[in-house]
Amino acid sequence: MIGLLVIVSLAWTAFVKPEKDREKALAASGTESISTLPQYQPSDPDEAQLAGGLKQFWAYTGFRNATSGNLIMIVVGLIFIFLAIRYEYEPLLLVPIGTGILIGNVPFFSEGGLNLQIGIYQQGSVLNYLYFGVLKGVYPPLIFLGIGAMTDFSSLISNPRLLFLGAAAQIGIFVTFVGALLLGFAGPEAAAIGIIGGADGPTAIFLSSRLANGVNILPDGTTAKNLIGPIAIAAYSYMALVPVIQPPIMRLLTNSKERLIRMKPPRAVTRTEKVLFPIFGLLLTCFISPSALPLLGMLFFGNLLKESGVTRRLAETARTSLIDIVTIMIGLTVGASTQADVFLTRESVMIFGLGACAFAVATMSGVLFAKVMNIFLPEGDKINPLIGNAGVSAVPDSARVSEMEGLREDKTNHLLMHAMGPNVAGVIGSAIAAGILLSYLG
Amino acid sequence: MKLQLLLSATAPVIDSMTWTIVFVGIAIVFLALACVYLFFRYFLTFILNFRLKSFARKRGIDPAEMVTAKNMQSGEVNAAIAMALYSYMSELHDVESGVITIRRVSKNYSPWSSKLYNMKNL
Repeated sequence: MIGLLVIVSLAWTAFVKPEKDREKALAASGTESISTLPQYQPSDPDEAQLAGGLKQFWAYTGFRNATSGNLIMIVVGLIFIFLAIRYEYEPLLLVPIGTGILIGNVPFFSEGGLNLQIGIYQQGSVLNYLYFGVLKGVYPPLIFLGIGAMTDFSSLISNPRLLFLGAAAQIGIFVTFVGALLLGFAGPEAAAIGIIGGADGPTAIFLSSRLANGVNILPDGTTAKNLIGPIAIAAYSYMALVPVIQPPIMRLLTNSKERLIRMKPPRAVTRTEKVLFPIFGLLLTCFISPSALPLLGMLFFGNLLKESGVTRRLAETARTSLIDIVTIMIGLTVGASTQADVFLTRESVMIFGLGACAFAVATMSGVLFAKVMNIFLPEGDKINPLIGNAGVSAVPDSARVSEMEGLREDKTNHLLMHAMGPNVAGVIGSAIAAGILLSYLG
Repeated sequence: MKLQLLLSATAPVIDSMTWTIVFVGIAIVFLALACVYLFFRYFLTFILNFRLKSFARKRGIDPAEMVTAKNMQSGEVNAAIAMALYSYMSELHDVESGVITIRRVSKNYSPWSSKLYNMKNL
């Protein structure tokens, strides 16, 4: 890591900075183009051709076109890859995203609007075709199909009251929405930023691709900003940091007695219930919020493939090959969309700040709502508030945080199976919230 | 002070529509999940238990003895029983006499395996 940073610094010092300094000097002296500089004029035509070719080659290299923004983003990409490999923070996401950031920030010649079909934002480039899936919201529903095919809703079916924890954690979305409006974002942009509080990467990409895609025309006649990259990176970064963000909030809001609460083991769930859950879950939630149909429809469809027991091959494909392929595509293209000129803006900094608040508020809402529910629940049937944080839909990381915090207080109190209930409810809840925001502001 | 100025400058964007989205949004999320809760907590359990009891009556079994969603044992209990049975079954082995004997094994002489012969040639 240090070696790479040294290489980057050296490259900057050796190649980029002198060129930039030269350009600055030229600009100061009133000279506009490098081509107008007094140049060495060779007498031999072959030599002139060679010099011209070398000059053209230099003009097209990344070293010639690099900006400080590109280098900053490359360092960010390297940090992502380092965190994924060294500390195993969400490696399945951070490795593709980190590599995507490197790919997206390799500088190339694009002066005068020249389209060499290289960059992700250049029409006709391969990356642009792959980015189509993000821009049009194709990938997120496919990810949801895979999630549905790998999720066991048994803990939720056996204890359905845990659904409310998944709903409570979505308050973070709406609080962040108001926060983003106060910071000057337009309504649709604020809604796309707010969804970071759902802690659900695919949902965040889905909503931002619809509301903050750089194409939509806002009511005041201006165009919505393209915030897909910053929102997706913020959502995935904070999802990877769930084990760091949530525990202090959980400890702050609970006392030792509450953390020691033992919950009843969940009852066994029949196959009929498991089959009926995706069918009626789909109908009940989508009739209330039809805008969430692409996400919830695919989620419950994937779960039906799993639970029906007669479509094992399809379920196997959805939860392995399909979701892996789409994860590669979405990670790489979202990473590549963080091209420095688009990503390194004041808005991105604000989005990261709002994202942190969103996660904190969502965690607080879940934990506090569990405490409120305990007021009405009889003794012996209470909920351990440490599972409230799992209402954010970072599956299964936030449930794992509940388990770790529970074990920290009592080494025999396992909360994982209970926390999986609000965790999967959070997935449903954040998709419904996205649907509501889409129906109001889309 | 700066924050106050910023908030006062952007305050008009928080209008009644914003609060409508916030409160209606939260309410709809709760409502949708409450519908799922009510369905699975009461309606589905009622339907399944009713179906089981009618099945029991047809077969002449006491409905109270039927395994329903309410009295079904948890997976933990089943796992504990299965583990106990496995441990019991895997620990069973032949009963031995307990008499320890030393049996001498006689071998016919062969120069191919003669230790003495091999040592000499070292």
